[in-house]
Amino acid sequence: MKGLHICILLAVSALVLFFADGLSPYWMHVAIIAMYYGILAASWSLLAGYVGLFSLSHMAFASIGAYTSQLLINWYGIPIPLSMVAGIAMCCFVGGLIGWVCLRMSGPYLAIFTLGFSEIVRIAIATEDQVTAGMAGLHTDLLFPSAATRLPYFYTAFALLAVSLVLMGLLVRSRWGLFLRAIREDEQAAGASGVAVARFRILAFAIASGFAGLAGGFYAHYIPIITPSMGDLDEMAKLLVMAVIGGMELLPTAVGGAFFVEFLLEKLRDLADGGGGVHWQVPVLGIDIELHNFDQWRLPIFGVLLLLTMRFARNGLITPFWLHFMRLGEARVSPPPAVRDLPQKDPGT
Amino acid sequence: MSWDYFFVQAANGAVIGVIYALIAVGVTLIFSILKIVNFAHGDLYMLGGYCAYFVIELLGFPPLAAMAVAMAALFLGAIILERLMLTPLYSDATERKDEYGLIVTFGLAYFLRNSAVIAFGPFPLKPPSFIPGVTRIGNLILTNDRLVAAGIGILLILGLLYFMQRTIWGQALDAVSQSRDSAAIVGINPRRFNSLAFGIGAALAAGAGALIAPTYSLAPDMGVAANIHAYVIVILGGMGSTLGSIIAGLMLGEAETLFTAFFPDPTRALAYQNAFGVLMLMIFLVFRPQGLFGRRHLRME
Amino acid sequence: MSAGQELMRGEGIVKRFGGIVANDEVDFVVTEGDLIGLIGPNGSGKTTLINVLTGHLMPDGGEVLVRGERVSGRPPHIYAAMGVARTFQLTQLFSRMTVMENMLVPGLTRPHSSWDEAARRARSYLEFLNLAHLEQLQAKNLSGGQQKLLELGRCLMLEPKVLFLDEPFAGVHPRLRDELIHRIEELHRDGRTFVVVDHDMESILRISRRLVVMARGSKIADGDPAAVRTDQTVIAAYAGL
Repeated sequence: MKGLHICILLAVSALVLFFADGLSPYWMHVAIIAMYYGILAASWSLLAGYVGLFSLSHMAFASIGAYTSQLLINWYGIPIPLSMVAGIAMCCFVGGLIGWVCLRMSGPYLAIFTLGFSEIVRIAIATEDQVTAGMAGLHTDLLFPSAATRLPYFYTAFALLAVSLVLMGLLVRSRWGLFLRAIREDEQAAGASGVAVARFRILAFAIASGFAGLAGGFYAHYIPIITPSMGDLDEMAKLLVMAVIGGMELLPTAVGGAFFVEFLLEKLRDLADGGGGVHWQVPVLGIDIELHNFDQWRLPIFGVLLLLTMRFARNGLITPFWLHFMRLGEARVSPPPAVRDLPQKDPGT
Repeated sequence: MSWDYFFVQAANGAVIGVIYALIAVGVTLIFSILKIVNFAHGDLYMLGGYCAYFVIELLGFPPLAAMAVAMAALFLGAIILERLMLTPLYSDATERKDEYGLIVTFGLAYFLRNSAVIAFGPFPLKPPSFIPGVTRIGNLILTNDRLVAAGIGILLILGLLYFMQRTIWGQALDAVSQSRDSAAIVGINPRRFNSLAFGIGAALAAGAGALIAPTYSLAPDMGVAANIHAYVIVILGGMGSTLGSIIAGLMLGEAETLFTAFFPDPTRALAYQNAFGVLMLMIFLVFRPQGLFGRRHLRME
Repeated sequence: MSAGQELMRGEGIVKRFGGIVANDEVDFVVTEGDLIGLIGPNGSGKTTLINVLTGHLMPDGGEVLVRGERVSGRPPHIYAAMGVARTFQLTQLFSRMTVMENMLVPGLTRPHSSWDEAARRARSYLEFLNLAHLEQLQAKNLSGGQQKLLELGRCLMLEPKVLFLDEPFAGVHPRLRDELIHRIEELHRDGRTFVVVDHDMESILRISRRLVVMARGSKIADGDPAAVRTDQTVIAAYAGL
């Protein structure tokens, strides 16, 4: 990423922050939620896209972060930033633990295990309602209790997203980023090349889960109530849809996917409200279905979009745009002669 | 504790076990042949149940025939899906095949589940009984529907085993599951068998859904729990082992039901019922990933 | 090359798979400056031994020592850090990473390495292997021969004391094979120690200074190639198959 790209991104950020208060409360909320998912999508793509650990427990960590933060406030009365940090720490710890337990697992085994873990977390939170208020929901303290608008939350979410991306980006560009990718490409070869595979797998889990906890903690103190369903499989599926549609192998495309899906979801809801409904009849078979909730179709539509993306554009829909952006400012020269003259496969050796 | 209570629960557990076995056998079959874990399997089970329901309601078929129709419909539907979405798994150009299979089937599950909520409504539906009423055996009272479900379920499982062992197609399927390349050399077309495997797996799941629907009702999210149970069983039984899945399915059904029945705190029991299977799953994944009967861990590619 | 210090030793290595004893109390010593050819009929346990000696398998019995320090049971990256490098039977590269990135991974695992220094070393090795012009290409786009050379390059980035080459000549074009042999010999002259496993008898005999023969899990010969070749037990082992 060159200076040019950074300048463009800073400029865009400045514009966003400057014009933020022009947003209606509804769309500001949508933007905030999009940024919440953005942090989650980026950290999930770190785990699944860069290291190749396909975890389905990411949203569970968000809920762990959220509940830990609020419960600590309830029990010990600590200030919110501190409780959020504690939530992050809890997620790093548990995440690392899960990473350790999963060391010998790969692919679907890992997915199934993390799916199981996610369910246990959800069920435990829902059932132990003495502690967590269960399905009724836990009332949470707000970051800005006296704020008139959502604007401070917008700025906070933006800052958290930016910081997360910078930190994760630095990791990815560092030698550890190389090692993580090597693990994904070929774990055995990575070990033979000196990469401490076990250590990095655990670290990746801990770090990614920590970011999930950060997002969850923010969510807890933005929305005044949290329920166990914030970490359920539907949420995880939605996150997966977001990251994959955007492009799960790069941080910015995963975030882009989150924004894309979230905004589109809301835009479709917007349209639907104006619409009315669909009435589908097949007289021969006596089928008579009336669908008034067009906005419910948004979710299956994204399911189809996911399938289409996987089938025909596996790198993600946003990836070509991002790659194009990254190529801006590259001098337009023809490829160096050595590469051009190279036959596709060197036949001599 | 009364022995009657125990026996009734044990019987119920056996019934559930048969249903679980049916579902898991499908996942195992798909895993053996296509080398992917089908994350949409529970939702195929759900669709089967709903399909049978609508065949009964709209076309007036008797419940058993409706089940057969549902199985056939899902069989065909699954093959179509497989042709549409899963063919990249067979091309060398596709990288990270297990990830592909995972995401695609997960996405499929997402689509089916959410479509089901819209198409069928979020409220549970109860199809009519196969055979209304109950049967008395000694002091035990068992609903006829449960007996039918278990009975037909067992027949289906036996049918599958017979198919795999005794028929040409079944044996070919078995051959492909053990070694694609060898099978191809002998003249078997592995691709055709992918479709067949996916279709049969789906059909079995559909049958399971149709069989158990009169007992437990239909809901759009019934696939979620079924999925989890499928994974638990498949891993307990050993990925790739048909017999293992059957035995593990029966065992899990029994264990789960008895656990819930005798758990000291009844309000918590139901909530933790699902967690029971999941906990078993996680323990096995850590300590014995090859399950009880599994072959050595199969690498995906 | 005069006999140098002992670099590595495997003592009484035992490895079982199910009912099969792949390595049956094998002793294996690697001395500085060695160029050992490890041969034996199929199933003799050669690759298993390599896997044990490079940390990819844990022995059921016996020990692996690197310069006197016990390493058996520790993960492979420890072996790599101690200067034990290996290639794989089927080249295992980081396919979607570039040639340079493939080289940088081992380069940067070394303590006190910087990107610049690692890149410099990488470039010089790539030059040596005639791969420098392919630096930005994804590893999967290299020809089979180039991939083998890249794997060798990856080993070199570890600045290893011992290089284990697992069937480097398998299915390889004669011209590439000659190039590989040329490179191995040049590296050996520069002071590197090699253990080469292969079935290509001609190549092995060409380069080996010492020959170790395995059959059915045991070491049956170890010494000067000329002597080993005429050893009756060795001939019997090959003939018996």
